[in-house]
Amino acid sequence: MTTGRWRPWVLWATTLVLVSAGLLLLRARLDKAHVALVFLLVVLGGSATGGRALGLLLAGAAFLLFNWFFLEPYGTFVIANPLDWLVLVAFLIVSGVAAQLLHRFRQQADAARRSAAEVDRFATLGAETLNVARADEALSAIADVIRSTLRLSAARIHTDRVRSSTGLPSMMAWVMEHGTMAIVSRDGTTRVTVDDLPRDNLAEARSVYLPLKVRGRTVGVLELTVDAAVSLEAAERRFLAALSYYAALAVERARLAAAADHAEALREAGRMKDVLLASVSHDLRTPLTTIKALAHEMARQDERAQVIEEEADRLNRLVADLLDLSGIQGGALPLAIEVNAVDELVGALVQQVSPTLAGREIEVDLENGGTLLAGRFDFVHTLRILGNLVDNAKKYAPANTPITISARRQGGEIELAVADRGPGVPDVEREQIFEPFYRAPGAPPDVGGTGLGLSIARRLAVVQQGSLGYAARPGGGSVFSLRLPAVTLPTVTS
Amino acid sequence: MSSNPPSGTVLVIDDEPQIRRVVRNAFTSSAARVIEAATGAEGIDRAAAEKPDLVILDLGLPDVLGLDVCREIRSWSAVPILVLSARHSDQEKVALLDAGADDYVTKPFSTEELQARARALLRRSHRSGSEPPKIAIGELVFDRDARSVTRAGQAIHLTPIEWDLLQELITNAGRTLTHQHLFTRVWRGRQFGDAQQYLRVYVAHLRRKIEPDSVRPRYIFTEPGVGYRFASAADLAASPPDRR
Repeated sequence: MTTGRWRPWVLWATTLVLVSAGLLLLRARLDKAHVALVFLLVVLGGSATGGRALGLLLAGAAFLLFNWFFLEPYGTFVIANPLDWLVLVAFLIVSGVAAQLLHRFRQQADAARRSAAEVDRFATLGAETLNVARADEALSAIADVIRSTLRLSAARIHTDRVRSSTGLPSMMAWVMEHGTMAIVSRDGTTRVTVDDLPRDNLAEARSVYLPLKVRGRTVGVLELTVDAAVSLEAAERRFLAALSYYAALAVERARLAAAADHAEALREAGRMKDVLLASVSHDLRTPLTTIKALAHEMARQDERAQVIEEEADRLNRLVADLLDLSGIQGGALPLAIEVNAVDELVGALVQQVSPTLAGREIEVDLENGGTLLAGRFDFVHTLRILGNLVDNAKKYAPANTPITISARRQGGEIELAVADRGPGVPDVEREQIFEPFYRAPGAPPDVGGTGLGLSIARRLAVVQQGSLGYAARPGGGSVFSLRLPAVTLPTVTS
Repeated sequence: MSSNPPSGTVLVIDDEPQIRRVVRNAFTSSAARVIEAATGAEGIDRAAAEKPDLVILDLGLPDVLGLDVCREIRSWSAVPILVLSARHSDQEKVALLDAGADDYVTKPFSTEELQARARALLRRSHRSGSEPPKIAIGELVFDRDARSVTRAGQAIHLTPIEWDLLQELITNAGRTLTHQHLFTRVWRGRQFGDAQQYLRVYVAHLRRKIEPDSVRPRYIFTEPGVGYRFASAADLAASPPDRR
């Protein structure tokens, strides 16, 4: 190390001595200008390789040698010819200025090289930040570079994902929330500034919390722990600004990547579910079709086959209930909210339930005074709700009592009610009956159904901005009321 | 059950032998000849070779999408296509009807339901090309030339849109027409604004005029989530007016 630093000095001192000796041998044939030029070359060479100090030293030495050996009278520092002073002073000035200029160029070249290296380092870090497979690795790499470059005892990057799992210490949470920097001094006081970077040197600081921001949003906190006093010059500040921005980008990128992965996983799960539902419904319903059709044929000879057919129908309802429930719960239920006529809804309901009534009477009461009632709802889901309500009434009300379906407008809503003369529901159970698989305690085991009908009905009502409630019926029995948004019809008859 | 058993050649395209058997059984008592195909490709070949009067197509085929079979057959033949669907989604049925299928039956179906739908479509298949100017269905008499409708001899006044709706439904009696189909046919060339969302309301008004009881329709049936179907003669035979 030391020998390396002194080598140019030794080398150029030797060169100066040898050159002086060579010139001395030829002194008789040389002009003063020759000597001056040769010495100038040595000074320039020394400045170029050894720096300004060597250059100035060589210039001084050459000045003395020039005077001693090559200006008459030789062997003295006396100068006979006053014009030789001019030569000598000119030589000194030229060699000094040349050494100084060379030194400045070298400094500028060094600075340019350093900033090129800095730019290169930033670019590399930036690329690594954006390309690294795992965001955690990028963050720890950046933190490490900051720590070693600024010679800190620790640098850590915290993201808001950390907060949710372990809970950030309060200072970090505060910085995360407010997006301003906080500096904790050695004496324990905390200073909060609106700047994004420390303005002064971190002489008094023990730890610094820098907000990491992307587009004005704080996505993380850079925590710097300072042991020895750290000086933050312009270059370090620049470096810190750039790296904390890279860190913020890395955090943001990790968040976006996680969100994209999550969305992709959700899409995939949704697709798998659709495929599964389609295949379950196909695979279960195809054998049910065969069972039902063959049982139906056999029922002409054997009554027991009729039971098989009914049970096949019940299994089919169970499949439909389970598919519906999973569709509602998974949020995968397609909704077609449209303007629909209540006439048509009740008509489709009567048409749907008629084959299963076995002689029971259905009363329809449309209180509309000749005008058409209309609402904004999903026709299929609403039909399913009412179908479930009628099924429920059939199960619990005596076979010789009618089921009444009524509809009326109430303010901004259409109220559709299914009423029966069954035993009704005790007060305590009036909400429980809408729970999946709830069965009335006294219900006969062969009551049929799946225990899902009312819970499906209520969920289907809610998903289309409606409601479904229970009330005791005056004179005995139950009334289930479905409320849906009403539509006031414009004149559309022409 | 039926006074008018289905006749003609029925092609069943279904990969499940049990379902083919159910369909075959449904036609044993009739004059119809049932031929079978186990794959979509075979079905298309047989439909081309044997020129059936009705195609019964299952959607769950292993080799091709039911929708594609439907489009393929429809591209060169007007044979009625009845779809067997086990799917949960009405959107699929709508897509099939829009692709040229005439009607559908949802699994598990009853033999009667299959027979009734098949009969209506076979009757359409056998009918000669041009539409008769005067159609009597139940108590309704629809006179295309006079632009008049009577029920049990009483004249019914219809608005132009109601007339066009009824004409489209009657012309396609026994077929399920999707909401989109009806809207396109009836509102073609009309200023419509919000009409599409009020299609169901127009149908409700029409029902009030032609049905004896609008909540127990005899003529215009609602196919929930899909569209409307005008009663075929078979439907009317199965539900006499006094049934209420």
